[in-house]
Amino acid sequence: MLKLENIHAGYGPTTILQNVSLEVKEGEIVTIVGANGAGKTTTLRTIAGLIKPKQGSISFCGEDITRLRGDQVVDRGITLIPEGRQLFGDMTVRENLLIGAFRAAARANHERRLDEVLSIFPRVRERLDQAAASLSGGEQQMVAIARGMMAQPKILMFDEPSLGLAPIVVSQVFDIVRQIAGTGTTVLIVEQNVYTTLKVADRGYVLENGQIVLEGQSEALLNDDHIRQAYLGI
Amino acid sequence: MSSSPTLSLPGGRNAALLQGAGFTAILAALLVVPLAIGNDFVTHIFITMCLMAALSTAWNLVGGFAGQMSLGHGVYYGIGAYAGVILMNMGISPWIGMFAGGLIAMVVGVVISYPCFRLKGPFYSLASIAFLEVFRVLALHFSSLTGGATGLMIPLNLGWTWMVFRERWPSLVIIFGMLLVTLAVAAAVRRSRLGFYLIATRERESAARAAGVQTVRVRLIAVAISSFLCAMLGTFHAMYLTFIEPAAMFSLTFSIQIAMFALIGGLGTVRGPLLGAVLLVPITEWARAVLGASALGLHGFVYGSVLILVVLFMPNGIIGFLSRYAGKQNAEDAAPATTQTDTIKAPATPLVPPAPDRAGIGADIMRVEHLNKHFGGLHVTRDISFTLREGEILGLIGPNGAGKTTLFNMLSGFLSPDSGSVSLRGPDGKFHTPANPADFAALGMGRTFQIVQPFAAMTVEENIMVGAFYRHHDEKAARESARETAWRMGLGPLLNSEARGLTIGGLKRLEVARVMAMEPRVLLLDEVMAGINQTDVRRAIDLMLSIRDSGVSIIAIEHVMQAVMSLSDRVIVLASGEVIAEGDPRDVVRDPHVIEAYLGKEFADAQA
Amino acid sequence: MTTFLQILVNGLMLGGLFAIVSIGLTLIFGIVKVVNFAHGEFLMAGMFITWLITTRLGLHPYAAVIIVVPALFVMGALTQRLLIQPLMSARDDHVQIFATVGLSTALINLALLIFGADIANTPAHGLRAPISLGPVRVLTGQLYIFGAAIALVVALHLMMKHSQIGRAIRAVAQNRSAAELMGINVNRIYILSFGIGAACVGLAAVLIAPLYPTSSNIGTYFVLTAFVVVVLGGLGSIPGAFFGALLIGMLDALSGFYIGSDLREAVVFGVFLVILILKPSGLFGNRRALSHLS
Repeated sequence: MLKLENIHAGYGPTTILQNVSLEVKEGEIVTIVGANGAGKTTTLRTIAGLIKPKQGSISFCGEDITRLRGDQVVDRGITLIPEGRQLFGDMTVRENLLIGAFRAAARANHERRLDEVLSIFPRVRERLDQAAASLSGGEQQMVAIARGMMAQPKILMFDEPSLGLAPIVVSQVFDIVRQIAGTGTTVLIVEQNVYTTLKVADRGYVLENGQIVLEGQSEALLNDDHIRQAYLGI
Repeated sequence: MSSSPTLSLPGGRNAALLQGAGFTAILAALLVVPLAIGNDFVTHIFITMCLMAALSTAWNLVGGFAGQMSLGHGVYYGIGAYAGVILMNMGISPWIGMFAGGLIAMVVGVVISYPCFRLKGPFYSLASIAFLEVFRVLALHFSSLTGGATGLMIPLNLGWTWMVFRERWPSLVIIFGMLLVTLAVAAAVRRSRLGFYLIATRERESAARAAGVQTVRVRLIAVAISSFLCAMLGTFHAMYLTFIEPAAMFSLTFSIQIAMFALIGGLGTVRGPLLGAVLLVPITEWARAVLGASALGLHGFVYGSVLILVVLFMPNGIIGFLSRYAGKQNAEDAAPATTQTDTIKAPATPLVPPAPDRAGIGADIMRVEHLNKHFGGLHVTRDISFTLREGEILGLIGPNGAGKTTLFNMLSGFLSPDSGSVSLRGPDGKFHTPANPADFAALGMGRTFQIVQPFAAMTVEENIMVGAFYRHHDEKAARESARETAWRMGLGPLLNSEARGLTIGGLKRLEVARVMAMEPRVLLLDEVMAGINQTDVRRAIDLMLSIRDSGVSIIAIEHVMQAVMSLSDRVIVLASGEVIAEGDPRDVVRDPHVIEAYLGKEFADAQA
Repeated sequence: MTTFLQILVNGLMLGGLFAIVSIGLTLIFGIVKVVNFAHGEFLMAGMFITWLITTRLGLHPYAAVIIVVPALFVMGALTQRLLIQPLMSARDDHVQIFATVGLSTALINLALLIFGADIANTPAHGLRAPISLGPVRVLTGQLYIFGAAIALVVALHLMMKHSQIGRAIRAVAQNRSAAELMGINVNRIYILSFGIGAACVGLAAVLIAPLYPTSSNIGTYFVLTAFVVVVLGGLGSIPGAFFGALLIGMLDALSGFYIGSDLREAVVFGVFLVILILKPSGLFGNRRALSHLS
């Protein structure tokens, strides 16, 4: 469904991703793991159209989306839930969710969608009229996920959804990822929390210094020493 | 402010020589042409050109070098004009009056700029406009002194003493001389430590502060010089006009024009303002004279349109355009790049000097005690204490968001802790507790930034010189030291390249080189190996070892574990703002707490 | 007592005038994050168009609104698209400052070229007639301006709060890249916002033209005060601009009466500098408006 071929990308003159190729099939949960600065976030931002690759191509459902703007990528059905939530803090939770449904395909039936999404996040429903900035970190993450779902994407990308959250909230987040995948949405997830992520994911890629060094089924990766080495050097 | 070109024009010696010759020719023509023609109108145009060029050059010290976009430089010009005329009415020659005006303007400039330097970009511009308006209104109000709206005439005392003449040529000679002085001042500033510090501050204020630059002070000095020069030019112009009034002396339009010529010519360059004035003034003055009243507003329309076009299509001004053109020419000459940099020669000493035998780890040089820091409700640093010993490399590791960079900011004075202290052993052997980056730098603390902060518009050599100026006040010595540092850091062949063109590995090395040129005793390195390739990692490791062996104590934040393992004498692991482990690197990475912090609890359990 | 009351009312009316000029400026800053130094010249252009329509077609000046507001919208949108957008990514402040400073200079002088230095008086059609409100008197036109300023604030508030496009505008203003992730075409929002800001000043131009003589430098006269108002009210805040304008109007009227009309401006700009330096977020602004501080 989503396919990256030989992507080189970076900021300004610096190249972070070197020759990255990966593929996500419909209905899969795929994860990209790797140490800090390996290029995980850059990969997601490149797919989302926020960074233009210097080389290589990205296709989605058979269409070449390499050169599309960020908003056009969203229109095609790819939504990124960014690292650090990035909520619109001065706006209410409801407004944040409505903005999530800005995409033309989602705008029409956003009322019904709001109900569906809120049924997954009962806590968010209680907070609908509060300013997003007044929520706790865990609640904000839930709103960010809910906002991403409002776009009714074909593929939902998560960037470090558990960053800075308490362990109990982290496990809730992963439950929700599983739940979302259960409804047929494809998931691409980037996480520091390697073990838990690989437990949830079907397949994984290991990114090191901007290059993919390993890929495979989650089970196989879990038992591979390479991961341990990538993170801890031993 | 990445767009202004460097003074040492890229594009090689021939092009630079050519440009220098062209510039000298233009300058000479400013005096020779009108004297040869001897026509009053032509002379008047050339006087206007010289005046605008000089004002714009003076403005450029603040607007271009310091990057503060003043749209109120009329204040200084007006003060000079009024001081000159008022004193002349009291029987004092404008030759003295111009210095009096200069001094007043200097004081005013420093007093009004000090609070305004907190303001960024357009807001500084707005404040400068507001001051201009206040001065205009005050000049109108205190009419007993200024003549108010009716203005002031100068007494018609002719002759060189009074700077008032029947013919035009003496005025031309005077303003030409003043232009030369202004240009000389600008050139001297650009080459001096002050000039480097100004441009460094403009490009990256935090990096400049880390290099020990007192950023407010250098900008105030720039304002003082600039306002002094503008006031002197104001006195001259008042004598030339023989009549002054508030609306003309404290005029926004005029202030904008002053800035405009510098922008069109090339912001932050020595030659740009002159080029801008020489190109634009004649066209518009001629149009004004020939088309007369039917073309009211034409010259302003041309100025405005040219400004828009320059901003859109030539953001580096004429100078930037010329040097890019020259650069292309040179590339076509197909000379190998290194032959242009004929002044660069590898020193006779080997690139990495043989390390003296490692001195071994000495006594404590830095003590960190019970540091705490909150951001809002977040407790980002929890009671952190550790010591750094002389000649030691201390690795600082931990997962994302552990608070490593926050800790570095407190260790270098960029952030002050809520509680706790950081003390450094000074050269006097006593421990001091510095409070700001400048004090830390004075005690021998140097740091790099995780996100590289090159002074993009400067060459590699100039970047390192900013650091070297900390030890060497003289430009030559600083350049010498910078070159030496560059070769040691493996940047020798790149000395004349612009910093913005370096690879990430090069930028990281430049960052270290700039700090090393300050000859620090304690070095904080923030992820100097992130994002660089394997070869560069190995070079960086060797580099750090050689730095350590020269007696510098290092704390390094690093994610590249291979480097951490082979470099560190000790490692501190930070997670959620706390020290969770400390000790020998090999032990630390086997610590279950550390594995859990990095890979999650389940992973730790699974591998246990 | 009546004199004092009259001064207060004069100040209030003046405040309404400042408000309607300033709203567009603060709107553009709040969203596009650009200080439009040509804002006053947009006002001037609108006033000249109003004058042309009123004198050539003999219409009531307020009728010009159907031409002026759309014309200014287009002018603003084009400014954003052709001048600001290419410079959005520039790291250098001077580029954006001088882009609009250049536009301002060009427009002032273009007006001089076209209309000359003479003053253009828009026929007042009774708008300069005073009416009594109890013990005090105001000009009819001033009263309309005051009402229009309130209406504009309310209308913009409703649009921002309750329409999807308004929410999108606020989202872009708060967090540009997150807005892009929501599928919002950020550049289009900028163009739209600049257009709306310019249209607001177009409305101001139509209302002001019958009361003030139009000339090429009328924009400078108003815009300097508008900058004061906008900084006082907190940059980007529309209600802030409104109340800031009332405050400055009062200050202007009171200092004109008690200190002397020639020092009025010095007082206003003095207050401006004090606010800018001491409380740069403005009296009504929040912390996020601090983007102009280092």
